[in-house]
Amino acid sequence: MVSVITSFSRITILSYIIIFTVIDLIQMFEPKLNEAVSSILTTIQAVMIVLFLCNSAAVVYFAKENPYIILTTIIQLLFLAVIAIILNNLSVPASKALINNVLLMLCFSFIFIERLNFNKSIRQLINGVFALIVATAVIFILRKILEISRYLFIFAAIGIVSLLAISFLGNVEYGARLSFNVLGIRIQPSEIVKLTYLFFIAGCIVTFRDFRGYLFSTIGAGIHVLVLVHSKDLGTALIFLVAYVFLTFIAYKNYILLGLEIGGAIIGGIIAFNTFPHIQTRFIAWLDPLSVVDNQGYQISQSLFAIGTGGWLGSGICNGMPAKIPVVLSDFIFAAVSEEMGAVVAICLIIIYMCSTVMFLNMAFNCSSSFYMLVVSGLAIIFAIQTVLNIGGVIKFIPSTGVTLPFISYGGSSLVSMFTGFFIAECSDDLWVSAKGRRRYD
Amino acid sequence: MTNNHNKKSIRKEIYVTAVIFGILFVGMISYFVRFLVVDANSFIYNSYNSRFSVFADDVERGSIYTADGRAIAKTTKDEEGKEVRVYPDERLFSHAVGYVGHGMAGLEAYYSFDLLKSHITLSDQINNSLTGKKSMGDSLYTTLDYDAQKAAYDGLGMFDGAVIAIDPDTGKVIAMVSKPDYNPNTIDKYWDDINDSEKGDSALLNRATNGSYPPGSTFKIVTTLAYLRDGYDPSDFSYKCNGKFDVDDYTIHCSSNKSHGQEDLLQAFSNSCNSAYAAMGVEIDRGKFQSTAEALLFNDTLPTMINGTKASKFSINSDTKESIVAQTAIGQGKTTVSPLHMCMLVSAIANNGQLMEPYIVDRIISDDGEVVSETEPVSYGPLITSREADLLNEYMEAVVTDGTAEKVDFGDLKVYGKTGTAEYTENKKITHSWFVGYAKDENGKKLAIAVIMEGAGYGSKYAAPLAASVFDAYFGK
Repeated sequence: MVSVITSFSRITILSYIIIFTVIDLIQMFEPKLNEAVSSILTTIQAVMIVLFLCNSAAVVYFAKENPYIILTTIIQLLFLAVIAIILNNLSVPASKALINNVLLMLCFSFIFIERLNFNKSIRQLINGVFALIVATAVIFILRKILEISRYLFIFAAIGIVSLLAISFLGNVEYGARLSFNVLGIRIQPSEIVKLTYLFFIAGCIVTFRDFRGYLFSTIGAGIHVLVLVHSKDLGTALIFLVAYVFLTFIAYKNYILLGLEIGGAIIGGIIAFNTFPHIQTRFIAWLDPLSVVDNQGYQISQSLFAIGTGGWLGSGICNGMPAKIPVVLSDFIFAAVSEEMGAVVAICLIIIYMCSTVMFLNMAFNCSSSFYMLVVSGLAIIFAIQTVLNIGGVIKFIPSTGVTLPFISYGGSSLVSMFTGFFIAECSDDLWVSAKGRRRYD
Repeated sequence: MTNNHNKKSIRKEIYVTAVIFGILFVGMISYFVRFLVVDANSFIYNSYNSRFSVFADDVERGSIYTADGRAIAKTTKDEEGKEVRVYPDERLFSHAVGYVGHGMAGLEAYYSFDLLKSHITLSDQINNSLTGKKSMGDSLYTTLDYDAQKAAYDGLGMFDGAVIAIDPDTGKVIAMVSKPDYNPNTIDKYWDDINDSEKGDSALLNRATNGSYPPGSTFKIVTTLAYLRDGYDPSDFSYKCNGKFDVDDYTIHCSSNKSHGQEDLLQAFSNSCNSAYAAMGVEIDRGKFQSTAEALLFNDTLPTMINGTKASKFSINSDTKESIVAQTAIGQGKTTVSPLHMCMLVSAIANNGQLMEPYIVDRIISDDGEVVSETEPVSYGPLITSREADLLNEYMEAVVTDGTAEKVDFGDLKVYGKTGTAEYTENKKITHSWFVGYAKDENGKKLAIAVIMEGAGYGSKYAAPLAASVFDAYFGK
């Protein structure tokens, strides 16, 4: 009986995701749909999200025979509703389509963490609630601050000091210094610094409208990246570098500069490759993981076994063996999705991330203030590059860098930073108007 | 920067950024699709992939058949209703088919994924999944011929060694036997005994594909080719054999110290004259000798669809002692070959120089009888030229009509071959018995064969008669 539900659900789940993805693509290519059509499409997506969560949770419930799953699913649905309600009340959301995408990503997160480790799924739910509170609080605080861009050096100081502290005092995990333990809770400061970093760069560019803006942002970005390299957190260092490159490109519109910066980044990469032996081992594991399957290639091989064996339609939820993949909950959760829901769903998920990136950038495009235009662009770039680094590492498109998949990977710090960034983007126009001291809808 | 005005022209770079990331995402999706279509199999089949056990929950492992449709591996249920893998012919196909038990080997290992896949109709699959019944996995039809296999198996008798027979026109493996062997039905029960390193007979090793044997006189085929490729004209060859050849401080003897007298190349080949070939070997340019051997697939992975083969070894260079070169030319020295390799070499000679890549799985069939996949014969291209093939055909025919295999009864078949007697220890009395060659009937149907019997003695006495009985079984119907 259980196997019938699981097999049948493979097809229903696939249908929800395909319908959702098609609507996403329509919204990406036609951002100016008329109100009525657009609202019908968003409603259909919302229905798909609910069906997806309930259907998947039902499979996990029957397979694991865990009665608490009914309860957690109800709480998860409520949580998703609260997110949508809060966003709609904070301001007119800049992109309703993006809200749906984020809610769907959260559903993937709920299902797979629940399926892999029930206790951690409860913790992730608490992390989510906490992230929602922080994000809402940040919006209220930002509204009160006039000319936020003036505080750019404070943002730089917060960022650099936290990264330095972690670089010298943090816990070593997988060869890199990433986290602190505060009252038994693991905090990863680099996730929060992503936001202060963007505020700093955007602040530099809009405050000094001459070469000093470029100079200060370059020096500041350089320090951030070097400290991260010192912590051996190379994935995050790369994210910061890419954000800097594209933000200065958007601000200064200089293609030569873009070329020089990309060239510089490549040279930096080559130097790093020759300096750090652990980058070289990751390269070997990337080029031919089966040749080193017993050690460095073990994780990526397990990931590819999972994806390959799952095939196009997947094994069905709880029918695969994703627990064989080391760190599957955080860095390799995409492999679990592909193994159990199938490569078609996994590809749809990549498309949803791509559409989300475009929607993020579209919000930046529509921002009334240059400062928030840059901040939101930066958020979009961080979101996109982090997704590419994560999924690319899991499917052996690029060497694995150990970054999390936005909104899906297990982990509180990453969720707080992603949620806050997402809220800032959705409220960006309102933030500028409030800061100017006049309500938009007066 | 100005706010609000001319957003489109001012913020064009955001579009550019979106396009750059769009390309990155699309590239990643393309790579993902490519991985699933092209590379995924090499990961799925990997022995480190522990997910096979999950398949076996829903699918009953399919059967393996000979070319004539006889089941040689199948799944049945024991008295308690537990699935068991049964091999009706016990040891007969042990190395060709392999086993499931303590891990897997042979076809059972390499085609495990196919045997555990079910291609029955979707409605049957849904029906089975509703009723909780297992679906029947796909079956393999091999190219093996039961009668030829049986003749090869019985012919080896108590001797260790290997027999492999290939259809030269297609590359189909007709028979593959290796001894010592094991009973795949009871492999779990006797696992420790089979693997007893004290016994040291490595019963789990398939010698037909993985054996490393000194080629003995069968190697004179390679030496002859090196001589031709070094530019010598075979009709100019002349040698007066007095039963031995001295080189450095080493003496090479002809078999039984027999003096063959004045010989041309055909006679030297068919008499398997060691002295003539040692003298010829030291004349051949060493670079040419090495490159000829390498063109004949020495020191290389064999081009075949059979999984898990071993490369043959050959090495001669300017530092090699002359006495070693002379020994190498008659198939002693450091050269090693697998029976499969020797069989491929003669199958190319039989096929006018063209080598067909050997294969053993002809097709995969679903339980409904639908063909899931079928192997098309693959040509490797010319291994030797047709001129070289013609010459070797003439010489190998002389071996059977007037040479070392003269006394062997091959019936009405036209047979081309080369015997070999390979020393493998300091004791020159104990030798491996080799025969490589092929037979052709009046309809042009051919069969190439390589036989090695360990420690049996003269090739003409043991290995060649075994080949005759395999030919008889194969052509006799």
